[in-house]
Amino acid sequence: MFKLPKIALLSLCAAFGANAASMGIGAPASEAEISGWDIDIRPDGMGLPVGAGTAEQGEPLYEAKCAACHGSFGEGAGRWPVLAGGEDSLAEERPEKTVGSYWPYASTLWDYIHRAMPYPQPQSLSDDEVYKITAYVLYLNDIVDYDFELNQDSFKDVVMPNQDSFYVDDRPDVVNTRCFENCADPEAMTIVGTIGGLSPTGHFKEDSGVSASHYADEPEAVESKAVALSEAAERGKGSYDQYCAACHGAGIAGAPKVGDVAGWSGRISQGMATLVEHAINGYQGDAGYMPPKGGFTNLADDVVADAVSYMAESSQ
Amino acid sequence: MGAVADEAAQLTGRDRRDFLRKGMAVATAAVAGAATPALASNKAPNLPEWTKTLGRGVVARPYGRPSDFTDLQRRTVPWLTASPESSISFSPLQDLKGIITPSGLHFERYHGGIPEVNPDDYQLMIHGLVERPLIFTLDDLMRMPSVTEIRFIECPANGGMEWKGAQMEALQFTHGMVSCSEWTGVRLSTLLAEVGVKPEGKWILAEGSDAAGMSRSIPMDKALDDALICYAQNGEPLRPEQGFPVRLMNPGWEGNTSVKWLRRLEVGDQPWYHREETSKYTDLMPDGRSRKFTFVQETNSVVTNPCPENPIKQKGFIEIEGLAWSGRGTIKAVDLSFDGGVTWQQAEVKGLALPKALTRFGFKTQWNGEPWLIQSRAIDETGYVQPTLAQLREARGTNTIYHKNSIHTWNVHANGEVTNVQIT
Ligand code: HEC
Ligand code: HEC
Repeated sequence: MFKLPKIALLSLCAAFGANAASMGIGAPASEAEISGWDIDIRPDGMGLPVGAGTAEQGEPLYEAKCAACHGSFGEGAGRWPVLAGGEDSLAEERPEKTVGSYWPYASTLWDYIHRAMPYPQPQSLSDDEVYKITAYVLYLNDIVDYDFELNQDSFKDVVMPNQDSFYVDDRPDVVNTRCFENCADPEAMTIVGTIGGLSPTGHFKEDSGVSASHYADEPEAVESKAVALSEAAERGKGSYDQYCAACHGAGIAGAPKVGDVAGWSGRISQGMATLVEHAINGYQGDAGYMPPKGGFTNLADDVVADAVSYMAESSQ
Repeated sequence: MGAVADEAAQLTGRDRRDFLRKGMAVATAAVAGAATPALASNKAPNLPEWTKTLGRGVVARPYGRPSDFTDLQRRTVPWLTASPESSISFSPLQDLKGIITPSGLHFERYHGGIPEVNPDDYQLMIHGLVERPLIFTLDDLMRMPSVTEIRFIECPANGGMEWKGAQMEALQFTHGMVSCSEWTGVRLSTLLAEVGVKPEGKWILAEGSDAAGMSRSIPMDKALDDALICYAQNGEPLRPEQGFPVRLMNPGWEGNTSVKWLRRLEVGDQPWYHREETSKYTDLMPDGRSRKFTFVQETNSVVTNPCPENPIKQKGFIEIEGLAWSGRGTIKAVDLSFDGGVTWQQAEVKGLALPKALTRFGFKTQWNGEPWLIQSRAIDETGYVQPTLAQLREARGTNTIYHKNSIHTWNVHANGEVTNVQIT
């Protein structure tokens, strides 16, 4: 019979004893590794980094990075989320749930803007920028003053109006019984169908008749190719980058990607006048909603027209 | 009802015209696409074409795909969301059999698009109130003891478009935000034993590596009970849409807690109250207050045959079928009514009845052209009986968005067509 030397047996037991519940799998996470990923903020302030910013400082940042989608006053462009307003609407027929009317904690706003906004460039804002923009969104909701400075300490003074309105799940809240006969009064029943015109049946994507083709790979996005640009297009490049690329750079929300020849050819064939008109006044298309001037309604018409030239010429 | 009309008024003119123009078209037109058309010459007594030639050889398609004669698809409702990167698609429940949803048809919900995570770069970090903060690679996770379970995942907004009135003329859209898979992974409790949770550790923040940085606070009890860190779905690696390479899976709980593309778990002494557990996924009640941490998906069921996409084509024998599920455990019974809930009969639970899994039921009967108001009512192992819509509205009003698990009604018309109705 095979016999373990006594010493080996002892050390074997010791090994198991030390790792009673552990398999010893996984590598230690270093401080540096943890701090790179540990981005969460809690209502008690845990996780808030050093930094500060006022609503006033946040205004230009918000205009540049957020207003195209959320509107200059937080009212939301097109179908993008509304960020402000809706006070005292929660018990009404059409409640409007916004940061100001609904969110219980300011920490949530800091955390969320930092982790997920601006939508096309998440985790791109510096800590100070997040303080500034958070302060500004709070200001748009009449929760802080324009000159209020948000920082790790003043943060604790911000009380959200709806903070005390949440309670822990108390379901099951309804009790049905397993009745088999005379369970409802047929005379008292009203039978209501779908509201005509609202149902999306038949509103499937135009190409829903595809069969085999929808297993094929999506066509590769076309790389923007080098083209000689007109003067207008040269002028428009800068404003495109600043105001339009948020959506048109990555193809967010149905916006045709600049450089995607196939995606633009039909559009370009409408003629420049139509493209510019659509860009200035905005429109609802099949692919999505193009807000007037991309949401920057203070832009001059010819600035928008130049940006359109740049976009169209770069997509041929 | 007035509220739904308001909703219609909110649609842009163009959306509305589209609905009016196409709204009546029934969604049954499954197109056989590129495949050859049906020919009488393929039928007896003739020899069909496919018998007279050799067919395709092995590995012509190394990863197989459905027949070109089928057309099963996830579908979305474009006007529901502002952008396809934060949107929803629905499983075609009307086309599926049994209880497993094919991986490619599992409903989708994400808030910042699907990240393409390289599994060689994958890391799961566990830290916070633990003895040993650790990082696990995918290989590490796959070395650990594995568990395989069949469980449903449901978005708590499933059915949420119908609080104010019937709106969707398709089963896919009324109930398609539920899917059921066989999931394989490591128990979260196994991982927590590796890191050693400190006694103050009561909550865990689960965070994804997607552009939304999806994050939710999970109570320690759930983490130690049946939560799973999954890397496989229906026998193969997770689909990208389902969190490849690794997701959290909280059986029976609202889908959004099962964080996908999971990168980090932080143990803490209190919840984080992040956006997806305050602004969203809280349930607004009629008095203006809100329920929070409404985790459990309560007992639900729906008839899948007939349904708007599956009208009754012939009089005579029909097997009514449907699906039932409960986030609290196993489905014990399902009852059916054909008269809008006046009288009920017990249906048959078919095949596997597993806890927190889709469960199929059936009922054999005859249809002779009489109108039906067909309903199903599921009962789970806790004795909970699926409620009526009137009961839910009475308790919660119509603005809660989430957790609408009421008895559903299909109206079968004399011509066999099926429409979505609500009984008030
Ligand atoms: C390209 C459009 C776009 C831009 C630009 C953008 N957002 Fe958003 N924002 C969104 C979308 C889409 C959502 C909803 C995401 C989801 O569905 O989870 C959102 C959600 C939010 C929310 C949560 C709303 C709620 O009620 O839950 C806040 C707060 C927010 N954004 C703030 C900002 C801030 C601050 C900026 C600028 C730094 C910004 N956003 C830039 C599109 C945008
Ligand atoms: C918030 C996202 C967003 C921003 C910002 C944005 N666009 Fe668009 N744009 C869209 C969408 C979505 C469409 C596609 C609409 C459709 O056809 O369905 C579009 C379409 C267009 C078109 C094609 C019009 C047509 O008739 O086919 C032009 C031109 C255009 N945008 C110009 C601009 C310019 C110029 C800017 C910057 C000043 C801009 N966009 C900023 C979302 C955006």
